[in-house]
Amino acid sequence: MNERILATKGLTVTYPTVQGSFTAVNGVNLELNSGEIVGLIGESGSGKTSLALGLLALARYPGRVSGSIDFMGQELLTLPEEKLREIRGRSIGLITQKPRQSLNPFQNVGTQIGRVYRAHVDASKAQAQDHAIELLENVGINDPQRRIKAYPHELSGGMAQRALISMALSAQPQLLVADEPTSGLDVTIQAQFLDRMWQRAEETGTAVLLVTQDLGIVANYCDRVLVLENGKLVEDAPTREFFANPTDAYSKKVLSLAGERAQAETASQEAGSQTPLIRLEGLRKTFKLDDGKVLSAVSDVSLTVMQGRSLGLVGESGSGKTTVGRLILRLLEADEGDIWFRDTDLTAMSTREFREFRSKIQVVFQDPFDSLNPRWSVEKAISEPLDLHTKMSKAEKAQRVSELLDQVGLSADVRGSRPSGLSAGQQQRVCLARALSTEPDFLVLDEPTSALPPVARVEMIALLKDLRERLGLSFIFISHDLSTVRELCQDVAVMYLSQIVEMGPTSKVFAHPEHPYTRALLDSVLFHDPLDRRVDREHLGALEGEIPSPIDLPKGCYLAGRCPFAEDRCREEPQLLQITEPDHLVRCWKSVEGILSGASVVG
Amino acid sequence: MTIPQSPPVKGEHPLENLADKKIKARRWYHDKLLVTGAIIVGIALFLAAFGEAIAPYDPTVPVGPPSVPPSTTYWFGTDTSGLDVFSRVISAPRIDVTLAVSAAVLSGILGTFIGLMAGFYRGVFSGFIMRVSDVLQAFPVFILAMVLVALSGRNLTNLIFALTFLYTPIFIRLTRAEVLTQRERAYVEAARAAGNSDLKIAIKHVLPNSLTPSLIQLSVTVGFGILLTAGLSFVGAGVRPPNPEWGLMIANSAPQLVLGEWWTSLFPGIAVSLTVVGFAALSNAIERRVATS
Amino acid sequence: MGRYVLKRVGIGLLQAIGITVVVFFVIRALPADPVARLVGFNSSPEVYAQAQASLGLDASVWSQFTTYVSGLVRGDLGVSWVTGSSILGELRSALPITLQLITLAFALALLVSVPVGIATAKRPGGKLDKTVFGYGLFAGAQPEFWWGLLFIFFFYYTLGIAPAPLGQYAPGVTPPPEITGMSLVDSLITGNIAAFTDAAWHLWLPVMTLAFIVSGPIIKMTRQSMSRVLGSEFILYQQASGIPANKVARSTIRASLPPVLTLAGILFGFLLGGAVLIEQVFAFNGLGSYSVRAVLNLDYPAIQGTVLIITIVSLGVYLVLDLLLAVIDPRVKN
Repeated sequence: MNERILATKGLTVTYPTVQGSFTAVNGVNLELNSGEIVGLIGESGSGKTSLALGLLALARYPGRVSGSIDFMGQELLTLPEEKLREIRGRSIGLITQKPRQSLNPFQNVGTQIGRVYRAHVDASKAQAQDHAIELLENVGINDPQRRIKAYPHELSGGMAQRALISMALSAQPQLLVADEPTSGLDVTIQAQFLDRMWQRAEETGTAVLLVTQDLGIVANYCDRVLVLENGKLVEDAPTREFFANPTDAYSKKVLSLAGERAQAETASQEAGSQTPLIRLEGLRKTFKLDDGKVLSAVSDVSLTVMQGRSLGLVGESGSGKTTVGRLILRLLEADEGDIWFRDTDLTAMSTREFREFRSKIQVVFQDPFDSLNPRWSVEKAISEPLDLHTKMSKAEKAQRVSELLDQVGLSADVRGSRPSGLSAGQQQRVCLARALSTEPDFLVLDEPTSALPPVARVEMIALLKDLRERLGLSFIFISHDLSTVRELCQDVAVMYLSQIVEMGPTSKVFAHPEHPYTRALLDSVLFHDPLDRRVDREHLGALEGEIPSPIDLPKGCYLAGRCPFAEDRCREEPQLLQITEPDHLVRCWKSVEGILSGASVVG
Repeated sequence: MTIPQSPPVKGEHPLENLADKKIKARRWYHDKLLVTGAIIVGIALFLAAFGEAIAPYDPTVPVGPPSVPPSTTYWFGTDTSGLDVFSRVISAPRIDVTLAVSAAVLSGILGTFIGLMAGFYRGVFSGFIMRVSDVLQAFPVFILAMVLVALSGRNLTNLIFALTFLYTPIFIRLTRAEVLTQRERAYVEAARAAGNSDLKIAIKHVLPNSLTPSLIQLSVTVGFGILLTAGLSFVGAGVRPPNPEWGLMIANSAPQLVLGEWWTSLFPGIAVSLTVVGFAALSNAIERRVATS
Repeated sequence: MGRYVLKRVGIGLLQAIGITVVVFFVIRALPADPVARLVGFNSSPEVYAQAQASLGLDASVWSQFTTYVSGLVRGDLGVSWVTGSSILGELRSALPITLQLITLAFALALLVSVPVGIATAKRPGGKLDKTVFGYGLFAGAQPEFWWGLLFIFFFYYTLGIAPAPLGQYAPGVTPPPEITGMSLVDSLITGNIAAFTDAAWHLWLPVMTLAFIVSGPIIKMTRQSMSRVLGSEFILYQQASGIPANKVARSTIRASLPPVLTLAGILFGFLLGGAVLIEQVFAFNGLGSYSVRAVLNLDYPAIQGTVLIITIVSLGVYLVLDLLLAVIDPRVKN
């Protein structure tokens, strides 16, 4: 089975610039064998994408590839253009990171699929059209006859990605190059895709180069790992060996941090009080779209965060979790419902009153660079809330800034820096310091770790954990990352399509998920453990298809269209959030009545 | 002629980032474009202030025989009235450059402020401002400029007002477009969450971050202003003779050119051409640097 | 598509109306005295009043406006205060001269600039690219009247390969009857080959001067747009999927086109009112020269008429362009 498919020698990719040339990939030697999935990891900017494309003897304009690429006995770099063209897209398939941008915006999807088909198969236009229809049908796109007339901008990202994947696979390539194919996808859909790809490689003996930043993906799907650093290959080891005994410094750091996390306990239950701090009651928010349609972002959300406790709000994109955060902060005004802060109804405050009140509720956003004024120094950014809400003297403010910098683990010499001079992790610490400056009673943390590179992410989580314990913070932590929530939050609420579908103490929800959606979500988590791989397990509750649009919500259960356990009653009856145990609520009648089949898979 | 600015192409090439990093590493004085631009602009500004003082002859009275070709006495020769061309060429920035700079600065300030408001407070006001500036931009610029100047009286103040009126919409558009992008950024939301009022957010946060396009445009606009002034004077709708002004000098010497008297129009023409290139180069260089920081 | 066209036409109409109104009132708000210009500043009050009445300037501004608008509705642009003839008639002979000049200049500019732009995009940082960068800086904003004069000096006075800048025809040549108003077309239609060659002889220098000025921005835009597309995900993906090179090239050019077309449209509309100085230099009696006369003589109806015509034609060009863009780029309609 281990037939060698591709081998490079001194593969180099350079880009000419006005000031000289820039080398993105520097003399890489690698081999890929049939039936093998090889993970390629490395920090952003390390040249991963250039290397991946380089395997096709291709570089983004105006780059150049040099060295040697032996693909099944042929030297790609000296092959005549026509021969090379035949190999690309047929013997070597590519899946890109940006599916929608990879399609020509000026051509309909059918024509494009047909063109690729006709580039390799002697077929008529009509046959190519039929092929396109068939292909779209295979990836589960409804009404393919009509959809092939659609332009890329009319497709969702997920749909475009499935079409591209299907195009790449339908040619039955010997080598598949996948450049972060799931980076824009939600976890449940990521799992669907990776499972299929893994199966494919098993069955057909396709060699796969999988570029990724996610160690979970590597541990679960890859046979071998390559680590790229500054255009050079610094590690090439079988996955188990890599996780057990990494040789390169970068690998060591990533893995040791990841290892710490794997051993982390679920957030302790004892901390905090039973006094409600923030209470949301029946929150509802809709957006009117330009075409007159109404999008329900949040429908009937009620939840409570106790003093000194933390609640994780979990969901995939479009679930409405971020909107809930914005509503609490009154960056958006709720259509209906109340937000109680202790005994005050925040929604009843005037804009002016609330502006002063803001010192008590602060926020950290997802994108740290974007949330800092690029022209302001760190010191100015952190002391802005102090200017607005306190009468501190200059010296007091400077003192407070020093305290805060220390609290978030930044050294004092970043005071005068601009955000652009800081790393993403440092930027997010500045944002956190700013949020903490007025000693708020409550924090909204809106995916504060998602935009960070792996190492910074792990460090940020550790910092938050530490601060939660030291300062007794109360916060709501909005995230799509379940393992982070498990570490950080005592309670968790799972959102799907604008509703909370399950809520309870983290330990309970994670150990015994009730709702089919929660189960699928937990099942999709990829742990960093090559000895316990997802592909070796059985999956009973996997979800089908994509998250429906929040514009036309179904009548009954919102999950019914994707749920393997759905029956007619689910599709007919709107579901209510019901109590199964005193502190555990679920929005699924089958689960409440205890007739949901299939055991929960995560122990 | 000042050709309208082409709309920038969105979504820059990903590799420009790579190239940019290298540019950033270079010292400013290695940037030929910046140095050229700065030198020309510097000379233009210097002459605007001291040109008349250092001129060898009075630029407005005949100082020698008419139509003398360039010589050691008259470096750029004399024109048909016996005026010294060199003295006139270096005295002209007094009018051309001063006028263009004033108009550019005035329209820059006005346009940036209106653009900020129109971008930040969307709604009826914003819509109205944009429609008005749409209408103004659909106007044939040169004709409008002629109308404004000729009908309000050909003097320097009116020229400045006319130019300001013409160039303000450019700054409104640029600033508004930038404000619209900036206001969607998370730091604006963060500022609101921190407890800033709308006005504070607009002035403290959004404005400083929306200035770049206007600053880049400013230098180009000075070039535009010089061209427009010269053009207006060329057709007799600008500065009155015998003031030293480049366009006027070219217009006066045009009939002589076909008879072979080249020096009277060549030198003022080179002056206009170079000055405009200087301001354009400066703006271009600034733009490149800003894009990299 | 139908709705899109309607919407665009509607916006264009509103703009034209807006400009008409603004011009009318701006002219009257400015402190010029067209009556005094006409009858002399030392004329007696009686003569002055009579002239004022004959121009209709004794009525209130509002009633002047209603009179003007009711004329416009009937397709009447009024009568020139200076020549006494119909503005529409005068513009009818001036507009084609300008249109012919700038269309030719445009064709020439596009023919040269687009290939050059593509070539520079293909070899970024190459010799051609560096040269063209300087030129783009240089030609985006330049005193075209001076360049015109310089070219005249060089090609006419020194080399003798261009005619004296004295209009569309040499003094001895009998111009063809005015059919379209464009010298080349009219002489061709009437089979007057002598007039045709003479017209072409008199056109080449002004056309080249304009093209020289306009080409810079077009090259720059072509290069920028082209290199953006060349570096785009979808071109990369087409290459990676083994699409034949000629098809990839076609996709690239098509995708690079919209910004170039948009710029071309803007430039064309701009030149309609911006060819003033070139027409003056070469003594062409086009729209530009007409507008200069109108303004300097304070001939209000003529000013209004010129602005209106230029606006309508340029809005027409923008409309055609927008429709073209909508055909090329399916995203435009949304």
